[in-house]
Order: sequence, then C-alpha cells, then structure tokens
Amino acid sequence: MVGTRLAKIIELAKVIRSKNAGPFEITFDIMFADAGIYDKVKNSGVITSKLIARLYNISHNEVLVCRPYDPAQAFKITIRRPTASGDLMESDVYGCQQHMPLTTIEVPWEE
Amino acid sequence: MDEIVGLAPSGSLGSGYNVESFNRALDANPDFIGQDAGSTDMGPTHLGDGVLFFPESSYRHDLSLMLNAAREREIPLLVGSCITAGTRGQLGQAVAMVKDLAREAGHSFKMAVIDAELDKDYLKKRLADGAFQSLGPEGELTPADIDRSSHIVAQMGVEPFIRALEAGADVIIAGRACDDVIFAALPVMKGFDKGLSLHMGKILECAGLSASPIDLQEPLIGRIRNDHFVVEPGNADLRCTTLSVASHSLYERTDPCIQPGPGGVNDLSETVFEQLDERSVKVSGSRFISDSVYKVKLEGAEVIGYRSIVMSGIRDAIMISQIDDILEEARERVRLRFGAVDDGEYHLDFHIYGKNAVMRMLEPETDHVPLEIGLLINVVAKTQDLANAVAMHARGTLGHTSYPGIITTAGNLAFPFSPFNVPVGPACRFSLYHLMPLDEPCECFPMEMITVGGA
Repeated sequence: MVGTRLAKIIELAKVIRSKNAGPFEITFDIMFADAGIYDKVKNSGVITSKLIARLYNISHNEVLVCRPYDPAQAFKITIRRPTASGDLMESDVYGCQQHMPLTTIEVPWEE
Repeated sequence: MDEIVGLAPSGSLGSGYNVESFNRALDANPDFIGQDAGSTDMGPTHLGDGVLFFPESSYRHDLSLMLNAAREREIPLLVGSCITAGTRGQLGQAVAMVKDLAREAGHSFKMAVIDAELDKDYLKKRLADGAFQSLGPEGELTPADIDRSSHIVAQMGVEPFIRALEAGADVIIAGRACDDVIFAALPVMKGFDKGLSLHMGKILECAGLSASPIDLQEPLIGRIRNDHFVVEPGNADLRCTTLSVASHSLYERTDPCIQPGPGGVNDLSETVFEQLDERSVKVSGSRFISDSVYKVKLEGAEVIGYRSIVMSGIRDAIMISQIDDILEEARERVRLRFGAVDDGEYHLDFHIYGKNAVMRMLEPETDHVPLEIGLLINVVAKTQDLANAVAMHARGTLGHTSYPGIITTAGNLAFPFSPFNVPVGPACRFSLYHLMPLDEPCECFPMEMITVGGA
C-alpha cells in the first residue's frame, strides 16, 4: 500500500508516563494532543494487554487494565507491581521510570 | 449559594508553594483552603516507622502561611493525611505545630482533630465479622497480620470532615484521608454534586500538577457550580488546559473511568473537559455511584528489619564486563561469613546503576555495556548492627576481590563520601491494603474539638 509506514508512538504521543497507583500497582498513561492521531492509534488496535505483557515480559493476567479513555484522548494501562512499594527488591518507589518500553510501540500509519 | 471556591496551596504539605501565586489566588475569595499532607506514594516507612517525609520546619513554614490566610479571611482550613501517613503520632505532631503557630500569631479558633489510626482490637473484631477484600497483599488477612503491623490507618471520606464543619470547626486537622475528600467536603455539605465535588478534589489535591507547565508548588483554584466545576492556576503565567486537567484525572489511578473511594466509585466515563478561556478548564459529567455497603481502605505497615547501605562507583571496563559474576562471588563470600542469604536474618541486594537498577526484572534491554556503574549495596537485617556488618563485608569483599584479567590491585570501588557505610534505620513493608466495611462513615474516625487561643 502506498504511503503506509510504521509510526513510532513517541512521535505521535504528547505524554508517555508511569507512576505508582497505590503500593501494589504501576499505571501507565499514553496521551495525545491531537484527537485525530488518538483516534488513529485507538482504531489501529495495536495497544493491547498482550502487547504490554510482551513489552514488560510479564504474564497476561498481570496486566490489570488496558483501555482507551476518550475524554482525555489517552490510553490507560495498569500492571501489578513486581514488588510492593518499598519492599525488598524495590527499585522505583514512585514507579515513575518504568515507561521506556512503551516508547518502542509502532503503529501502522497511512499518510 | 451559586458556587463554592476552593484553594489548594500545594500538592503536598511541606513541599513549599509559590507565595505570590497563593496571594493572587486569595483574590478569588476562596470559601475554604484545603491541603493534602500525605500519601502512601513515598513507601511504607512513614507508616511503619512513623517518620515524617519532610523535616518539621518545612511543615511549619507551609502551615503558617495558610493558617494566617484562613484566619484573616475567617474561612475554614482543612488539612488531611497529617502528616505523611496519617498515624495518631503524626496527627499529634501536626496539632502541636498548629497550636504553636496560633500562639505565635495570636489566633484563636475552634480546631477539630480527626483520628484515623485504628486500634488492633477493633480491627480484629471487624475481621471476625467477615474477611476484608485485599487490594494487593496475597493471601487472606489474619489477626497475626494485624498484630505484626506497627500502624494501621483507614482513609476517611467526606463525612468526618462534614461532621467537623457542622460542629463549627474553623480548622480541621485530620489523620489519613482520601485525598479528594478534603476539597469535596464543604461542597458536598452545601449540596453540590458529589461526583463533581470529588473530581474537583482529585484535581485540587495535587495543586499545580494539573497546570501547564506542571509544578507541584503552584496553587490551584477550583470553583464548583450546579453542573460543572472550573479550575485555574493561581499563577497568572500558568494555564490549565483540557490535556493537563484530563491528564491529572488519570494520574495515579488504576482505571480512568471507575475511581473507587470511601463509600462508592466516581465514574468519569461521561466526563467532558472544555477549555473555558486561555487559563481555565470546565469539567462536567462526573458521577458518584454509592456502594450498598460503605467501605474504607485500610493501610498498614510493619517493620521487617533495619537497612544499611554503601554507595560506590565502578569505572574499570574489565570489571564491568564481568560484573554479574563478580557480584555473585561476593554474595558467596558473604554467605560464608554470615550464613545463607534470605534465611530470615538478612537480605543482601545489589543495585547496578547503569545496567538494570531502575527497571530490574521489567528491563527489556539486557545486553547493554555501561561506561560506569553506580553500585548500591543494600542490606536489610534483623538488627542495625548485622545490617551494617553485612553491608561492610560485601563492600570489603568487592573492593579488593580479584577477577580474570584484572589490571588494578589497589581497589575496585570508588566511594563518593566518607564514611562509606550509611545505617538507614527501620525498613518496612506494607502489610495491609484492604477494604473494610463500616456501619456508618464516621465509625472509626473519632473527633476531638479543641479551642485554640483565648477565644
């Protein structure tokens, strides 16, 4: 197909972040400034629980939430924390530096 | 009453806030000032050990400005989750600070103090009535888990705040509270929609984190009306945008649409964010759905040992290329001296900064070779002395160990300060994170009304 390529999510999204949601979960937000771009990413169906499980090398049922949220033009993803906040083996109490694997997501893009 | 105006000085008591923006925000004639003073976000030690997040001087500084402003204007000041974890001891520290500040400034007022720490006998009686639903910890909660915890608090809803306001409190100093209810209490008491009130509270509780550019130390103003609310930053140079406000509505929440809190869930699935003018955003459509049984979230933490750390750096490329094997050998040497790791006496952990210290098992890039490594030796043991001994033994072993191809015999670790070993004190773990049903919303949040000053 002429004009179809794989677009990197980091070029499409305005915010890609991770944060603790309570002591037992890490939550990710992928947010878009442009409604058209958000719709295209949403309609591509690329962002799924299965993809998240693969990116973080965790099991499918550790991905608790993975859904688009139209009012904020955003994807919301929540996973179970590998260790509870501050417990032995903790590495990121706020969970705010766990987002980089999401930046490798690619979306089929027709110009 | 057509609207209620709330003012949030900062996202976290003690973090400081922009005084110029705060004074400008006061021109909006707020009906109340609300301030969140705690969270579990900073980990279990503030709950398990009771240590405050900031030094006491930081809290006094922040409290002083907002207390003076509230008293001058004769509007309520509501502070929730005092201070950090909302334990009884931390609540007492906040009360003492407010009394001191009032005396220094010559204020007199009625102060409601609301306790959110739960007694263990009460909890065990409640547990005997039926299991608590876990929001994280594995396995069923037992009375032994309760006994092992040093402090257990419950997150209060709007009701204990409303009870205090109705009793004529000028200042409310509360233990652990759900963040948004601090700002929702007065609007709900005055009959405004609970879903909108709580959503406005969710935006205000982190203050300038909903602004653009983002800044926790920037005050935020919220105006709730019949069918919507409007938020704007106190600082004229900052804006609220639909993206910044919608973004904060998702912040730290598991699910965007269903946000559970004391007594029910706030449903944001039909929420609409509109840019009202350049600096303010209008929000409508959020709906509160009450649960048939009123439940509160419990948070508990226990002391699991004492922590000791050593921070060091490695620049030798030959050592870096073998780092995993070298650390494994060091573990073995520690085991020979102190016994098996993780037999309950001590836990030895290496954080390899530059390699995978930040993401650990979630790290997908495993074959990266760093130029430098920051090595954190992190030990938790039954006693502080044992933790120090294990950390220093691991340090000594690594500092002078040999490995294939070694070209330096003078030492392997670069230390950035002296002494090398830092005893950290108690290490804690979250032991409870459960839902507990109540017969009525104020059941476990006793209030004391205190007359401060010469009123």
